[in-house]
Amino acid sequence: MNSRILKNIKKDFLIEFRNRSAVNISFAFAGITTLSVSLVAGGTPFPPVVHAIIFWIILFFSAMSGLAHIFIREEEEKNSLFLSLYYTPEEIYISKLIFNVVLFLSISVIVTFLYLFFLQVLPSYKFLFFLTVVSGSIAIASVTTILGAMVSKAGSGSSLFTVISFPVLLPVLWTAISLTSVSIDGSGVQEYRNIIFLLAFSGVIVSVSYLSFKFIWTEF
Amino acid sequence: MKTYNRILFLLFVFIIMPAVFMMALLWAPPAEFLGEASRILYFHVPVACLSVISFIAAGYHSIMILISENNIEEREYKSYNAAYTGIIFTILTVVTGSIWAKISWGSYWNWDPRETSIVILMLIYISYFSLYSALKDNVNRTRISSVYLLIAMITMPFFVFIIPRIYPSLHPDTIINAEKKVHLDAAMRLTLFASVVVFTIFYGYVFNLMNRISSLELKLQEKQNDN
Amino acid sequence: MQNRSISIKADKIEKRFGNALLFRNISFNLAKGDSFYITGPNGSGKSTLLQILAGIQKPTSGSVIYKADNSEVERDCYKNFYGFTGPQVNPYDMLTAAENLKFTSPETVDEHLMNGYLEKFELYKHRSKPVKYYSSGMKQRLRLIHALLNDPEILMLDEPCSNLDTSGRDILYRILGEIKINKIIIIATNESGDINLCSKGINLEQ
Repeated sequence: MNSRILKNIKKDFLIEFRNRSAVNISFAFAGITTLSVSLVAGGTPFPPVVHAIIFWIILFFSAMSGLAHIFIREEEEKNSLFLSLYYTPEEIYISKLIFNVVLFLSISVIVTFLYLFFLQVLPSYKFLFFLTVVSGSIAIASVTTILGAMVSKAGSGSSLFTVISFPVLLPVLWTAISLTSVSIDGSGVQEYRNIIFLLAFSGVIVSVSYLSFKFIWTEF
Repeated sequence: MKTYNRILFLLFVFIIMPAVFMMALLWAPPAEFLGEASRILYFHVPVACLSVISFIAAGYHSIMILISENNIEEREYKSYNAAYTGIIFTILTVVTGSIWAKISWGSYWNWDPRETSIVILMLIYISYFSLYSALKDNVNRTRISSVYLLIAMITMPFFVFIIPRIYPSLHPDTIINAEKKVHLDAAMRLTLFASVVVFTIFYGYVFNLMNRISSLELKLQEKQNDN
Repeated sequence: MQNRSISIKADKIEKRFGNALLFRNISFNLAKGDSFYITGPNGSGKSTLLQILAGIQKPTSGSVIYKADNSEVERDCYKNFYGFTGPQVNPYDMLTAAENLKFTSPETVDEHLMNGYLEKFELYKHRSKPVKYYSSGMKQRLRLIHALLNDPEILMLDEPCSNLDTSGRDILYRILGEIKINKIIIIATNESGDINLCSKGINLEQ
C-alpha cells in the first residue's frame, strides 16, 4: 500500500507541475496578500497580538484559495471514476493529504518570510514560532483535505469551502494566534503544550477522515 | 403514535406549557438585581439546553447513518430534522441571550465564553445546511453532510478545552458568569425546572411531528413509485 | 490473476432515480466464457446497469453477487477482478499514455506487455505524448488498453466502439474474439457488431 500511495503522490505532483497554474495562483495569492497587508499598514507598529492575528488570517485565506484544488481538479477533469477504479479510497485520501500538507507548508514558508521581512517582525522565541507555524499549517491542511473532498462533490467552489472550513478551523486559529503572539512578544510562558494540542487535533481529524473518506468518495 | 401518548403530548404542549409561561411571567418572584427582566431566564436556559440536545441528536443520527445500513431513510430525515430544530433553537438562544446581556451588563455582546460557544454552534449549523443544499443532486448528499457533522462534533471537545483559555488572554474583560452567581430561591428554581421540562417535551413533540411528516412523504413517494 | 472461476449473479435488480423508474427485475447469471450484451434505447440505463454490476453504483433494490471459486467476494474487492471502461472513465490528460498505464498497473508492471498492447492498438509511437493531445479515437483506444492490461477475469465495456474508426474496431474485435473463451465479457452497446460478438444478452427497452 505504501508504494501505491507514493505512486499516487508522484502522479499528483507530476500533474500539478505540468499544469502549474493552480499551484502558482495559490502561491501568488499568499504572496500578494502578505505584501498588500504590509503596504497598507505602512510601517505602523502593531502589538504582537495584532501581528499574530493578521498572520494567521492571511494563512487561513491562502488555504481557502488553494487547498481544495486537488479534489476539485479530479471532479472537473472527470478523472475521479478512473482513479477510484484502481485505488482504494484510503490510498487516495492519504496521498491527497500528503500533497496538501506539503503544499501548505510551502505556502506557509513563503508567507512567513514575506511577513517577517516586510513587517519587520522578529520573534523572540524563534523555536516556538517555528513549531507553531509548522503544527498550525499541518492542522489546517488536515482539516481542509477532508472538507475539500466534500466541497468537490458539491461543485459549489471556494465560497462554500470557506463557509464550512471556518467553524472547524477556529480552535486551530485561536491556539496558533495565541502561541504566535507569545513567541513574537517574548513575554509569558512558552506553552509548548499548545503545540501538542495542535498536533493532537490534526491526529484526531486525520484518523476520523481516514475512516469516513469512503462515504464521501464512493456511493457505497 | 398511540392515541394515549398523543393526548398526553397535546396536554403538555397546549395546556401545561402556557401554564408554565404564566408561572414564569407572573408567579415567580423577580430576581434581586435584575427585577422583572430576569424572567427571560426561564426562556433562555431551556432553549440553550435544547440547542445542545438537538446537536447531539443530529450527531447521533448522522453517525448511525455512517455505521449501519439499516433504517437509512429514517435516519436521514431524522438527522436533518434534528439539525433543523437545532438551528432554530440556537438562534433563539443567541437572541434571548443578547437580550439578557443587554439587561444585565448593558451591551448586547460581550465575548463571554458561553456566548461564543453558542455562536460557533450556530456557524456549524449554517455550514451544515449550506453543504446540504449545495449537494442538491448528489446521491451521497446525506452521507457527506453526516461526515461533516461528525467532524464538527469532534472539534467540540477541543473548543470546550480552549475557549476559557483564549478569551482571558485575547480580551482582557473579565469573564462574566452571571448564571452561576445568581442565587435562585425555591420558587424560581421550581419555575426554571418546570420550564426546562416543558420545553423539552415541546421539543420532543415538534421533532416527532416533523419525523412523522417526513415518514409520510417517504411512504407517498414509495406508493407513487409502485404505480 | 488468472485461473479462478468467477461467476456473477444479478438478482432482480431495480434502479430508480427519485421517482423515475429506469429498469426493474433484471436477473441473469454469468460464468467464465459468457459474453453478454446490454442494449436498449438511449437513456434506458445501459451504463447504469453496467456500473451497478461493477459495484460502482448502488441498485435501488436487488443484488449483485460475485463468486470466486465458489466463495463470495466482497464488493470492495470487485475491482480486483474486472477491467472497466466507459465514456466517464478518463485517463489523466496531463500524463502520457505510458505514464497513465504505469499508474494503473500493479507495482511489477510488465513493460513488454504494456508496449505490446500499445503496439496492437497502434498507439506505440504516441506513448510519450500527453493524453490531452490525443484525438477522441486515440483516447478510446487508450481506455481499452487500460481495461485489458491487467488481464482481468471480467471485462466490462461501456460503448467500446464509440469514436473508433474501422481499424480500431477490427483490432478490438480480434482481441475480444481471442480472449472471450477465458473471460466474462459484458458490453453495454447499441452497435450490432458488438452484439454479434456476444453469446447472450438483454434488451432494456420497456
